[in-house]
Amino acid sequence: MAEFKWIGKSIPQKESKEKVTGSAKFVADMRADLYAKVLRSPYPHAMIKNIDVTKAEKLPGVIATLTYKDVPKRLVPRSSARPCFVLDKHLRYVGDDVAGVAAISEEIAEAALDLIEVEYEVLPAIFNAKEATKEHVPKLYPEGNVWGPVDNKLADKGLQEPTILSWGDIEKGFKEADVIIEDEFLVNPQIHSPLEPHVCIAKWERGQLTLWVSTQTKSEIVDSLSYTFEMPLSKIRVITPYVGGGFGSKYIERYVPLTALLSKKAEGRSVKLLFTREEEQCHTKRAGQDLYVKMGAKKDGTITAIYFRSYFDIGAYGSGVSGSCLFWEEAPVLAYQYENARFEAWDVHTNTSSASPMRSVQVPGATFAIEQVIEGVAEKLGMSPTEIREVNMSETGDMAPPKPYTNSNIEYPRAGLDAYPSKKLLHEVMEEAQWKEKWKGWAKPVASSGSKRRGIGIAYAQGWGGFNFDGYMAMAVSMYPDGSLTVLSGSQDLGTGSNTTLSMLAAEFLGLDLSEVNVVSGDTSNGAFDYYEARSSRTAIISGHLMLQAIQEAKNKICTLAAPKLGAEPEGLDLKEKKVFIKETPGESIPLSSILTAPVFGSASGPQGSAFPEIEPGVKTKNPLVAAAEVEVDIETGEVEVIKLVPGTCPGRMINPGMVIGQCRGGAVVGLGMALYENFNFDVKENVWISRNFLDYKLPTAKEIPEIKLVILEAVTERLPQVGAPYGARGTGEWGVALIVPAIANAIYNATGIRMKRCPMLSEVVLDTLTKGGK
Amino acid sequence: MEAIMSKNLKLNVNGKGYDVEVGTNETLLRVLHEKIGLTGAKIGCESGECGACTVLIDGEPRLSCLTLAVDCEGKKIETIEGLADFESSKLHPIQEAFIENFGFQCGYCTPGFIMVAKAFLDKTRGREFTDEEICEAIAGNLCRCADYISITQSIRAAAEKMRK
Repeated sequence: MAEFKWIGKSIPQKESKEKVTGSAKFVADMRADLYAKVLRSPYPHAMIKNIDVTKAEKLPGVIATLTYKDVPKRLVPRSSARPCFVLDKHLRYVGDDVAGVAAISEEIAEAALDLIEVEYEVLPAIFNAKEATKEHVPKLYPEGNVWGPVDNKLADKGLQEPTILSWGDIEKGFKEADVIIEDEFLVNPQIHSPLEPHVCIAKWERGQLTLWVSTQTKSEIVDSLSYTFEMPLSKIRVITPYVGGGFGSKYIERYVPLTALLSKKAEGRSVKLLFTREEEQCHTKRAGQDLYVKMGAKKDGTITAIYFRSYFDIGAYGSGVSGSCLFWEEAPVLAYQYENARFEAWDVHTNTSSASPMRSVQVPGATFAIEQVIEGVAEKLGMSPTEIREVNMSETGDMAPPKPYTNSNIEYPRAGLDAYPSKKLLHEVMEEAQWKEKWKGWAKPVASSGSKRRGIGIAYAQGWGGFNFDGYMAMAVSMYPDGSLTVLSGSQDLGTGSNTTLSMLAAEFLGLDLSEVNVVSGDTSNGAFDYYEARSSRTAIISGHLMLQAIQEAKNKICTLAAPKLGAEPEGLDLKEKKVFIKETPGESIPLSSILTAPVFGSASGPQGSAFPEIEPGVKTKNPLVAAAEVEVDIETGEVEVIKLVPGTCPGRMINPGMVIGQCRGGAVVGLGMALYENFNFDVKENVWISRNFLDYKLPTAKEIPEIKLVILEAVTERLPQVGAPYGARGTGEWGVALIVPAIANAIYNATGIRMKRCPMLSEVVLDTLTKGGK
Repeated sequence: MEAIMSKNLKLNVNGKGYDVEVGTNETLLRVLHEKIGLTGAKIGCESGECGACTVLIDGEPRLSCLTLAVDCEGKKIETIEGLADFESSKLHPIQEAFIENFGFQCGYCTPGFIMVAKAFLDKTRGREFTDEEICEAIAGNLCRCADYISITQSIRAAAEKMRK
């Protein structure tokens, strides 16, 4: 194993002192000249027939108002599944934006909302995604409620089709099967609930727009608004000092251009729009799912076919990547070496809040279904839960997808899996969970006492490795004569510590002290760009990769400058610890300070348009995931107490273990919330959001946390650090969430012999399911 | 809008006196942010559900979003900004412990947790306490990055530091 100066050390975030002393200024903490409020739709589906802001504008202190009549007749790309205008007279959920007001105080802006006169034409609404695909139902869009296939150019024209990824012939596969299991499941949406609500401050100056936004995707905002406002990319500046949690919710949304237009109408005074908690909880969600899974297998457990179909409730608008990004970079459909497969995702609009991806995206919901059905197959075959998974799980070198395939999503090459020790991970999780001692057979509880039944469950999936969209980003480094380094990064540090991780990678690569590396991000005016930015567990991985390439370019330039002085060819030189030296005789060196009188730049971006590069030809990086749960179910009350969680992941090589642990453990808690507590709830009779606050939408607190034992298995194929994923690191951040829901469901089955069909598994849901015998 | 009375107040925040004119309906959280320039207490829900705005009033953890500023006259208000010594940049042991134990990620809820931890550790000084007691103390504070285990570990480590 290689010796490292920084890699593998747990190093706290560079911004630690600012965060613990309260000096870190989040956008929510900032002041502006004016404050904005948004009038929100009281109806789930309506058309504005008339809107009059005259009285609101006369209220002293009101500076600007904005209605659909005032917005550009240009769409806001990627703010939603189907691009929309900044404001529209067509309203699609309770809470939709009707009009905006900017005033000298929040109170005045709020008061002005009451003075806006609106005449609504109330339209019939639809709330169920599966129903919404039918012909004679209310339509949110003239062309229909289905949006898809995702990322297909035809989608913008309203092609009413699911996104499909398939290979082989499932009909043939099911014929060959000795056992077939099919089942249906319902998964409620989950609400991101970042503690810092969505917030934006806009300042529209002559020919330039500056935005302070709590966002994961600054570059995407620049790109999108450059289109909407017909401004050069270079004239829109987005500043994001810190993000108080995003979890997938903080991408480009229409409230950003809305705030910008209010600033424009206020002649360039800065305008701040901060969501209230109620606005925060009612405008976005992880898509709900209505799932059907059919799986067939031979006697030896080999899965011959899977048919997976899910209706994703993407709500009123969805987001740029929407529900079926389940298939995005293939996760989790490649977990098993299915011989024949058809995965079918219907992204469907409903009159509820819009879906955007959330930590682990759609994997928890999809695996809630798949990982219960595979157990049904195993039980029927007389195999154990772990045996059937071992027979079918992908391993190092296996092709992903296993067979030549067709895909109506983004195309990506088939390639072999890099360092993918799925079985070893399974065994380590089993050991940590004491699986062999505790698992006594199908529906045989670990222990029983009174009305309490203890059960143990396991689940497996595959996560992506974060190596993606290098063709949509640019990074640069500046290497100073004293050897220190400034990195210009487009990738937002979402609060995960990714800037610290980048610093560690650079310091390792150049033999520097951490304090000598400065990562400048959080402001698009640094010229760097990252269109996909802080999502899909990718910042440390793909930004790290490009950063090392940029450093390599600077090194090459410096070696060329140093070559005559050392009397060697540039190729025979290397740079480390602020010195250029001859590789064969490292004693022969000269310090950087005697070569440079000015900094040398290096830069890198992937090939234009490159979305899913291989880490080397024919090889891709994925993260095997296994989790176990032990629960105690009270069969009289339906209450489920989680005793222990064992989330397992394979992050390649950990750059900063302290951060990896925090991400995985925190993720597991979010999975726990989704499994047992967090109840997305809209009252369709009264048109009222029930889950609009933290009392009616319960997040886990410190008191709900069970014992959590992480299994982190490192597995690396050694390569040059600047080739492929840096030092063998792999995207990990979000994967702690992925399997908690199915592991708990399987543990409940072990305890009770009843399959859970609905998530969250609130006590009333569990009791109802137990009472009805799983129907 | 109804007319709001305003009042001149003397507030004692982190040992310093502030003369501020506030509306009788203004919360301490908003006064800290908008009139005193202290933004360490965070705006999370403004309805007492998340704990991000927690400050200490006469040593007790209080939700500044539910506390009227006019009720704070004559009381000792402590915010996260008062914990570390700015001149020497010496951190409070709780702050050190949160850093060393990775007790935060995005950091938005952190000031609230640290203030609750301070009240808890001041109260339990000189005696042993259980992890359940820590969890009970911080049960009113939400963290969505959600690694509560590192937070309880930070508080335990802080207690060790403060004992020394």
